[in-house]
This record gives sequence, C-alpha cells and structure tokens, in this order.
Amino acid sequence: MRPFRSLSARLTFQFALLFAGAMLAVSAALSTFIAGSASHQVESQLQASGAVYDRLWQQRAHELQNAAQLLARDFGFRAAVATGDGATVQSALGNAAARLRVRTAFIVSADGHVIGIDGAVTSLEASSLWEPLDEGRLTGVAVLAGRPRQLVAAPIMAPTLIGWVVFAADLDGREMRSLERLSAIPLHAAVLVESKGKWAEATGSMAQLNGKAATVAERHLKNRAAFEMKIGVDPSIALAKPLPIFSSGEPAVLLLAYPRAQALADARKLQLALAVMTLLGLLLAAFATWRAAGRITQPLARLDAAAGRLASGEHVQVRVRGRDELARLAQSFNDMAGKIAEREHRITQLAFNDVLTGLPNRTMFHQQLDHLFRVSEGNGSLFALHCLDLDQFKVINDTLGHPAGDALLVAAGQRLTQAARGQFVARLGGDEFVVLQTLTGDRNAIDHLARDILDAISKPLVIDGNEIVPSTSIGIAIAQHDGGDNGTLLKNADLALYRAKEAGRGTFAFFEESLNERAQERRQIETDLRLAIERGEFQLYYQPLFDLEQNRICSFEALIRWNHPERGLISPIDFIPVAEDTGLIVPIGAWVVREACAQAVRWPEHIRIAVNVSPVQFHRGGLEATILRALADSGLAPARLEIEITESIFLEGGEPTLRLLHSLRALGVRIALDDFGTGYSSLSYLQSFPFDKLKIDRSFIQNLLTREGASAIVRAITELAQALGIETTAEGVEETAQLMELRSHGCSSVQGFLFAEPMSVDDLDELFEHEALAMQKVA
Amino acid sequence: MVRRIPAFAVGLCLPASLVAAPLSVRVVDAGGRPVRDAVVTLYPAGQAARAPRGGGHYVVSQKNIQFHPFLTIVPVGADVSFPNFDSTKHHVYSFSPAKRFELKLFARDQSRTVRFDRAGVVALGCNIHDAMSAFIVVTDSVWTARTNAQGIAAFGDAPNAPGRVTVWHPYLRAPGGFVQTNVAAGQRGANFSIRLRAPPPMPMPDY
Repeated sequence: MRPFRSLSARLTFQFALLFAGAMLAVSAALSTFIAGSASHQVESQLQASGAVYDRLWQQRAHELQNAAQLLARDFGFRAAVATGDGATVQSALGNAAARLRVRTAFIVSADGHVIGIDGAVTSLEASSLWEPLDEGRLTGVAVLAGRPRQLVAAPIMAPTLIGWVVFAADLDGREMRSLERLSAIPLHAAVLVESKGKWAEATGSMAQLNGKAATVAERHLKNRAAFEMKIGVDPSIALAKPLPIFSSGEPAVLLLAYPRAQALADARKLQLALAVMTLLGLLLAAFATWRAAGRITQPLARLDAAAGRLASGEHVQVRVRGRDELARLAQSFNDMAGKIAEREHRITQLAFNDVLTGLPNRTMFHQQLDHLFRVSEGNGSLFALHCLDLDQFKVINDTLGHPAGDALLVAAGQRLTQAARGQFVARLGGDEFVVLQTLTGDRNAIDHLARDILDAISKPLVIDGNEIVPSTSIGIAIAQHDGGDNGTLLKNADLALYRAKEAGRGTFAFFEESLNERAQERRQIETDLRLAIERGEFQLYYQPLFDLEQNRICSFEALIRWNHPERGLISPIDFIPVAEDTGLIVPIGAWVVREACAQAVRWPEHIRIAVNVSPVQFHRGGLEATILRALADSGLAPARLEIEITESIFLEGGEPTLRLLHSLRALGVRIALDDFGTGYSSLSYLQSFPFDKLKIDRSFIQNLLTREGASAIVRAITELAQALGIETTAEGVEETAQLMELRSHGCSSVQGFLFAEPMSVDDLDELFEHEALAMQKVA
Repeated sequence: MVRRIPAFAVGLCLPASLVAAPLSVRVVDAGGRPVRDAVVTLYPAGQAARAPRGGGHYVVSQKNIQFHPFLTIVPVGADVSFPNFDSTKHHVYSFSPAKRFELKLFARDQSRTVRFDRAGVVALGCNIHDAMSAFIVVTDSVWTARTNAQGIAAFGDAPNAPGRVTVWHPYLRAPGGFVQTNVAAGQRGANFSIRLRAPPPMPMPDY
C-alpha cells in the first residue's frame, strides 16, 4: 500500500475500507437473501397455485365423473346403448354435455365402436381411447382434434360392461385464464400434452410455447421444484406439474410460469433501496471516519507543528482539550516545552547573569555595550556609562563576614535596579556595578541618575543586626566623547570613579581628559620607581622629635625623598600610593629601614630612629626578616628602632599582623601608632596591643588653640596614654603656644617645624657637632 | 375369493360316421395361471357341426340379493326360470343380443320363465341392485364346456374336422368378451392366454 502522508488520510482510508467491506458484505448477503426470499416466495406461490389447480382439476373431474356415472347408470340410456338406439344416445349425450358445459361427449362401446361424436373429433381418435378405458382409466388428459382435453369416463354396465360414456372438457385459453385469475400472483398457466411425438398446448396469457419449452418443462416434472426457463424472451420462474394422463406414454404437463422481472420486481426495488442505503451508509461512514480521524489527528498535527517550532527554538504551548491520551500528551508536551524554556532561561542566566544578584554579568554588559555602540553609530545618539564601586566594601566584608558582604551586594543591586529603572544595570564582579544610560537629549539626566543612585544606595541597611550605611562612588563616561569602544569607555569611566573616590567617596565624577593625563603620569611614576631603586635616587631626611621632659632631641623620624633626575624632588604623597599599589613599597621600605639603621648607629646612643612601615609591607611578608637584617647589618640596638604604623594595618591584617607586631616588640623594637585620632581610632587597638607610643595627629595640634574641644581631646589622649604607660608625641607643632599647651597636657614629646624641618644627613652631622659643642658649653 | 363353478356335463350325441378326435383346450391368464370357469366352445366347420338337443329347463334364482348360479350354460331353446327368494323385489333384465328381456319388479316367491332361443351370452342384471350379476351362455354347439381348476376343458368326442374354438369368460378383456382360434382337423390341443379384468368389487356368493 502506498504510504500515506497524513495519519488522517490513512485512518479514513482504512476505516472506510473496513466499513465498506462490512457494509458491502451485509448488503450482498441481504440482496442475495432478498432475491432468494423472493424466488422462494414466487416458488411457494407457484406451488400454491399448482395445489389450487389440483383441487380444481379434481373438482372438475369429479363433477364430470358424477355426471358421466349418472348418465351411464340411467336404465333408459343403458337400454338405448345396449340396443344400439343411436338417436336416443346422441340426444342423451347432447343433453348431458350441455348441462356440463362440455362440448364433446361420446360413447366408446366395449367392442370399440364410437357413438355420438362431435365433428372435430374423429372416430378413429375416439376409438384409440378404448385401450386405456379398458385398462380402467376413467380420467386424464388427452389430445383430441389437436387440442388438449380433460377426459372423464364412466363405464356403462348393462349389466356387463358394454362401453364407456366419455366427456371431454376443452383445456383452452379460457380455461387457463380462469385458472390464472384464481392465483394470488399474476402467473401464466399452460397445459402441454404430448401426443404422437408432438406437443399440443393450451396457454392462457402466456405467449405461445414451443416443443423445446415443453421438453424443458417435462424434464422438471419429477423434482417438483421451481426452475428457470424462458417463456418467449422473458426469463421466468416456472413450475411443472404432471397431469393425470389418459393414454400412457403421452405425458401431460401443467406449466405455471411467472416472468422473472415481474416476480422479482419488488425484490429489485428492495435491492435498489438497499444499494442506495449502502451507498449512503458508505458515504456517511467515510465522512464519519474522516471526522473521527480528524479529531484524533488534528491534535497530533498541532503537536507536530508545535514540536517543529519548539525544535527551531520558539517557545510554544499547545491548547489542551479534553482529558484523553492526546490531551495528556499535549499536557506533557507543554510541560516539556516549559521545562526547556526554563532551562534555556537558566542557562542564559548563568551565561549572562550574575548568580548572586541576578543582574546581567560582564559578558552581557559587553554585548549590551556593543549593541549601544552600534545604535549610537547608527543614529548618533549618546549614552552614559556609570561605573560604581561600593565604598568601604572590603572593610564591611572583612569585619562582618562574606555572607554580610553578599547581602550588601544583593541589596545594592536591588537599589541600583530600582533607581536606574529602565536602564541596563550589570554587576561586573566584586563590588563593581555599571549602569548604561541611554540619553534622549538632556544631559542633565546623567547627573540626576547619578544622584538618584547615590541617594538610593546610601539608605541605612540592617545586616545581621548591624546597621550599615553603604555609600558608593560613581565614575561616568559618555559615549562617544569619552570613548569610541568598550575598553576605552570602561577605562575612562574607571578613571572617573577613581577620581570620585579621591574626591571623598559618596559622590560622582565625570571623566575628563586630565584624568587620563594623571593616569599616564601615574604609570610614568611606576616605571620610574622601579629604576629609582636601582639608581639610588631615594634619599632619607630626618625630622627630630624633642623630648619635653629632658628638653633634648630623643628621636628622628626617617622621611623619604625622591630626587628624580628629570623632575627633581618628588613628594612621597605622589609616589608612595603608587609604590603601595604596585608593591614596590616592599623594596623601597626595606631600603629605608636599612638606610635609617645604618645612619642611626652613628648617632648618640640616646637618639632613636623612627621608620614608617606601610600596611602593604606587613601583608606582603618578609618585614621581620628585613628588620632583623637591617639591625644586624648596622649593629643598631633594637630598642633604638621605632616602627610607626597606622590603624589601617589592623583593618586588613588581622591576627597575623598582631603576631608580627608582638614578634618585633619581643626583639626590642619599639612600636608607635601613627596619626592617632583620625580614622576609626578604636580604643580596642590600644587594649589588644601594648604600643610604645601614640603619635597624636597633626590635625588636633593645628586646632589646639583655635577649636574648642581639641585641647580636651589631646588632654584625654595624653592622660589615657599615661594611664596605659604609653609615650605620646604631638605632630605638626609649629607655634610656641602649642608647645606650651602640649607641655601642660603632659605630652611626652613634640615634632614639627617649631623645632626643625626634616634634615639631610649632612645637616644632621652638623647638628650633632653643634650640639656636641653646645653640650660641652653647658657642661 | 375363490370361485367354485360346479362341474357341468353336457350330454353329447356323436355322429357315428365321424371318427372322434379328442381336443383339450387349456386357458391361462397373463401370469400363466390356469383360468377356471372359462366357457370353451368348439365349432367344427361344415357338416361336423352339431347343435345340442334343444329344450330343457334351468333355474337362475335370486337369493340374498344375488343370482344363483353365476354362470349357466344352456342349449338353444332352453327355458330358464328366475324364482325370487328374497323379500325384496327384483327387476331382472338383459340387453344381450342373444336374449333381451325384462322381468319387471317381481316379488318374493314369484317366478318368471324366459326361453333362450338364440345362441350367445346373456348378461343378467337387476335394475334395482347393480351388484347382482349372472351369465347364461346359450350355446348352439354340443362341444361347449367350462374349464376345470387346471384351466382345461376337454372334448373327448370332438370330430376330426377343422373348426374354431372360442373362449369366453365373464371378465375376459376383449371386444365382445371372447377370444377364438381356429383348430385344424385332428388337432389335439389348443392353448389360450387371456387377459382378465378384475371382477366387480362386490360380494360374489356361491352359486
């Protein structure tokens, strides 16, 4: 079988075929049954007609016989016959024949003579009846004068047999038609009698028959069943019945025929109706099958189409109708499609979104940036890139733990999204966020958005019970002014961010070309710093610390100077941050310690040397080894070396820093806390580590005489230090009044221009000589 | 039913001049069975023929609605009386050419007499009682006899002359009810095979 393109067509074809087969089989069986039943009915009607005819025949024969017997027994008649009274016999016969409505009546005498014959029947014919009469045959069919007749005879006994009175009733068309009329069906009747090899016939409404038909009829005499034969040109259903014959060897047949067309007319109508109904049924079945197949296959086709669309990446759902298998299949398909979509979404999220905040990640940011650049190139529109960095995020992460840091990031992401609604927000990693702001003319929108973001972020936040007030800095670069590609724009926004942070955090800054220049300068410094160590361009200056109790110089703080071969003297403010950022602070710091120790060993023994150590040096390691080497190489007593640190080393260092400090102090190295009073100035540091000295920040000293409260703070610090057994040094003392005040507060030592600026080694040598002279003078 | 016809002797006067030539006639039916009570008559040709002595008186009575005897052979000129012993009346008749007569309604103990003066078979009937039947064979030849149980009728004194032999039987199926054959002079025997129709279906009492 040809494969079908559609299930519907196949179902329709197969079921229609099945229905058609079944209906045709039923129809054929019914049709056959109808035909058979009709044939059977016709046959039984024929049989009934035959039976009727038998009865009629017998009745007629009986009637005739009675009349013949009556006549034969009449004494006068017998006397007339016996005495050969021809005239009397003739009249008696004529009288009886008329009464019986029989045309032919005669007497066959026992010696073979015939009396009283009508014209048509010859004496010879009549006398041939003697033999059957003599054999006792008294009734039957015979051919007389070429026509079939029903003969009835009665013996004439006078008292012995002297002859037979014979009545011959014509079996003619009239007789046959009257028989036909008796039948319930419009049949044709005929009588066929063979005589001397020829068939004589009497037919009613039937067409004339021939000898062949008679032979056919005779052949079916025995089985007494209906048979098919042609009457003229009409095929007919016929029944042949034997009639009692008069002369042996001359068969007589009653033929009852029913034209087939007529007989089966009703059956034909039924069959036609059946055929029409079968055809209608077939059409109906085909239609119903088509509809049913459609009901099955339509959802399948929809699923097929949906599966195709799903395969091409579309997100599809099919309609679910009903509760059958197909509906469940559709439901499963929908579930599957939904899960695929979900997974795709998840995969996309993983690829393009930050897991923690759910914001787009760096990859997606770059795609979006590319997209915006293309749009911008197309229509010349502007867009702004806001780079954000949470202020003090590292501190919060370290002090409150990573979960708290993560919570802060999530909150910041949410606030950012809220504030920059309608704009593209992404997290690039760590505490770095970006906002891509598309501009529609008004450039003030950039400032507004930046302010909105700052306001949104800076709302207080409670994490694990700790209230945090986050803040952020924003660097803004505008495409395409500030960068024509992703990298440049992002770098410039970063520079602006750097500047915003420098400007004091919690603010925003636009990129300017100068930022770029600064960045370049910074890179130049970095490059030059590496060379500076090799070239020995660094120089140490020493600023004295004056002991207020002993009224003499007790210590020098080593301060680094960079003699750049081209740019001259460079301030530490300009290069130390670069050195810290690049890690160059470690070799530089090591050199400082070595140089300071080498110088200090040459000084009077009561004078110590103070060296600033960067937190970076603590964290990068190797500091202890560096200090030990410097002490060893120089031969300086450890107690004469004072390390100055800032609070910030505790913020980033933790336990290892504390251990290192203890270790250094165990060597005998003194530890001073620099810039005390600024930053966090947590008293817990003082408790956790036994500092040798606190250096009060210069900001307090500057305000000492002008701002109320500053004096109280300085006093409080000195008293606290005294109570803890810690020395204090006031920095930045420039006026005598300040000195007086500090002395009154009990400050241990002072440092500042009031006494001396930082001095070179040569100046120091001179100072020591001068002092030696002075001492000698005092002495 | 067995029909018994009592032996019947005919006195014969043979001419002395002729030498006797005994003739035995055997009558059988279609099945080859001997037929008894068939009446066989020899008619010698010419001078040899001899009529029986005429006259005589015979009786055919009616008793129990039947004739007795059933078959009677009488010579030409015999008188036959028909006494009625029944309480009913009878109407005896004959349409036979040999003797036509009618004895109308004669009652018990009445007797009528009829003379049979022509040779031939006379069939007797009663117009009132169809079942009544009897035959009187009126013969004009001295050689007339009925066959015995073996179907044989023998004529010991038959003349040595050619002639014909007729056989008659009440139920013989042939036109006229008899068959005949010629016999040569000195022929000692003749055989007849006859066809019989069934006797009428009525009780045939003894006679």
